Amino acid sequence: MKRLSTPAYLGPFSVWILLFFILPLLIIAGTSFLEKGVYGGVTGRLSLTAWRDLWNPAFLRVALSTLVLACATTVLTFGLALPTAYAIARSRYKNLLLFLVIVPFWTNFLIRIYAWIAILGNNGYLNQALLYFGWIAEPVQFLYTGTSVAAVMTYTFLPYAILPLYASIERFDFSLIEAAQDLGAGALRAHRLVLLPNIRAGITASLLFTLIPALGQYAVPQLIGGRNSFMLGNLIARELTVSRNWPLAASLSVLLTLLTTLGIVLFLRFSNGPKTLPVK
Amino acid sequence: MKRSRPWILLLLAFALVGSCGKEVPTLYVYNFTVYMPSEVLRAFEKKYGVRVVYEEYTTNEEMLTKLQSGAAGYDVVFPSGDHVSIMAKLGLLEPLDKTQLGNFSNLDAGVLSRIRFDPGNRYSMPYLMGAAGIAVNKAKVKAFEPSFTVFDRADLKGRMTLLDDMREILGAALRLKGHSVNTTNEAELLAAKKTVMGWKKNIQRFDAESFGKAFAAGEFWVVSGYAENVWKALEGNEPMKSNTVFFLPREGGSMYMDNMVILKSSRHKELAHRFLQFVHEPEVYARIAMHFQLPSVNRAADRFITNTPHYRLSDLDRFEFKEDLGPAVERYNRIWQEIRVEN
Repeated sequence: MKRLSTPAYLGPFSVWILLFFILPLLIIAGTSFLEKGVYGGVTGRLSLTAWRDLWNPAFLRVALSTLVLACATTVLTFGLALPTAYAIARSRYKNLLLFLVIVPFWTNFLIRIYAWIAILGNNGYLNQALLYFGWIAEPVQFLYTGTSVAAVMTYTFLPYAILPLYASIERFDFSLIEAAQDLGAGALRAHRLVLLPNIRAGITASLLFTLIPALGQYAVPQLIGGRNSFMLGNLIARELTVSRNWPLAASLSVLLTLLTTLGIVLFLRFSNGPKTLPVK
Repeated sequence: MKRSRPWILLLLAFALVGSCGKEVPTLYVYNFTVYMPSEVLRAFEKKYGVRVVYEEYTTNEEMLTKLQSGAAGYDVVFPSGDHVSIMAKLGLLEPLDKTQLGNFSNLDAGVLSRIRFDPGNRYSMPYLMGAAGIAVNKAKVKAFEPSFTVFDRADLKGRMTLLDDMREILGAALRLKGHSVNTTNEAELLAAKKTVMGWKKNIQRFDAESFGKAFAAGEFWVVSGYAENVWKALEGNEPMKSNTVFFLPREGGSMYMDNMVILKSSRHKELAHRFLQFVHEPEVYARIAMHFQLPSVNRAADRFITNTPHYRLSDLDRFEFKEDLGPAVERYNRIWQEIRVEN
């Protein structure tokens, strides 16, 4: 059989990307340069107002707190995911454990968030337990704070961080660690110098799979955020629906996309540099 | 020949589906979430041998955004007063044919005379009216003033929520100082902002979605919101229910009228008129008013209403309808955004 030519391979993918990624992005970018209609929508006239309105210290503050919250979530998620993935990859019950990582997906995302409301509330299970053991005298306000937003986002993204890490650790040849130890490295040093560089792809994927959705998060701060847990996603939704300022929602979206892209580019630049001896 | 057969089958299937759709006329109703008892919809279907498709939205803004971005096919929509004006200005509404709506004569003349958003009810027929108030957990808050000033209390810090709704909350702050909830005066609005920023220090969050549930769970002791949401969340929770007080603030505030309108793009205008007329049949409207325990605006329905509403029509005398502010809404948007983002 004749080999298919390159366009045949790339064609469907390119069309998909063009239709469902590039085109919508262009529409959003285009909208940001139009004049807003009084009751939503846009008039046909060109205008830079939406971009001028972006230079607002309030938005800058929201962008900054979004960045902080997303980074905190990423660090927290990765800190939990790495040991978990390692344990799973080394375990005899791999399949069972992997299955357990995926099980929560059987329940709808919103229902899982409501479950967290039941756990973290002032009269929730966590506070009741702490009160029962006498560790606290008054219920602690866990829910509706920035901390609860970061915690629940961590919970949400954990499986996405574990799976790529697991995949790369699973492929790693652990006899290399033994070799390193035979050559005099301590266990910690062997893992740091031999394991980590070899699973770099998995680490990158897991960090990005957390950071990107965290930056664009909307539902979690909306449902369990406090009076100041306002992220860029919420701001965009508000401008689009409540304030009916479509161009501003569009320019904020473009800002978020740029912020995310910049993050990825910087991240890939730093994570691709040569680190240690190449190990084959 | 062989290849074309699936296409023929597909065409046949479409033809079948198409003909099924034609047999039963269908009315597409677009309304707030659970804002009409399904028994009323079923009764209408039975009476006229039609089908009603009921779709839902959570806010006026969401509804308008969807209609503007091209959602089509709806016949009857339930916008609040200010959105009736907006939709009329945008040319989305069909003028009502009053000759088909004899039940207008059942409506409370006093209520109709207060309507500014649609003079003479050219486009809209009132459905239900009400106002947001404040629910208080008496077991935790022994004494309180029936006013929005309760949000000034630092001793309740972290135990209160305010509606995430700029017109409601700024309206409450404006009213507290004796101003109109529809003011466009910058100084009055800035004073209102200051009031709300003071409240913000004491609340845990702005919430327009789950305040009822959170209140019922004991999470918060003082929440601003709608009576029907609060009491609905308290159903089956007798101890909590007996500890709950719901009041409309003594200083008044903004109130709403939700209305039925027919879209210009509707393809079933006659059936839509019949639906509006049906809703205001005395016994039908009584069922609706009793279901939500909201004050009836249909005087002919009163004698069929056997339960007590959460508040009476006369309680709303000190409240003011929210009107469309036109371009001046920008000021509200800006101030509300500052409130949400500043610390």
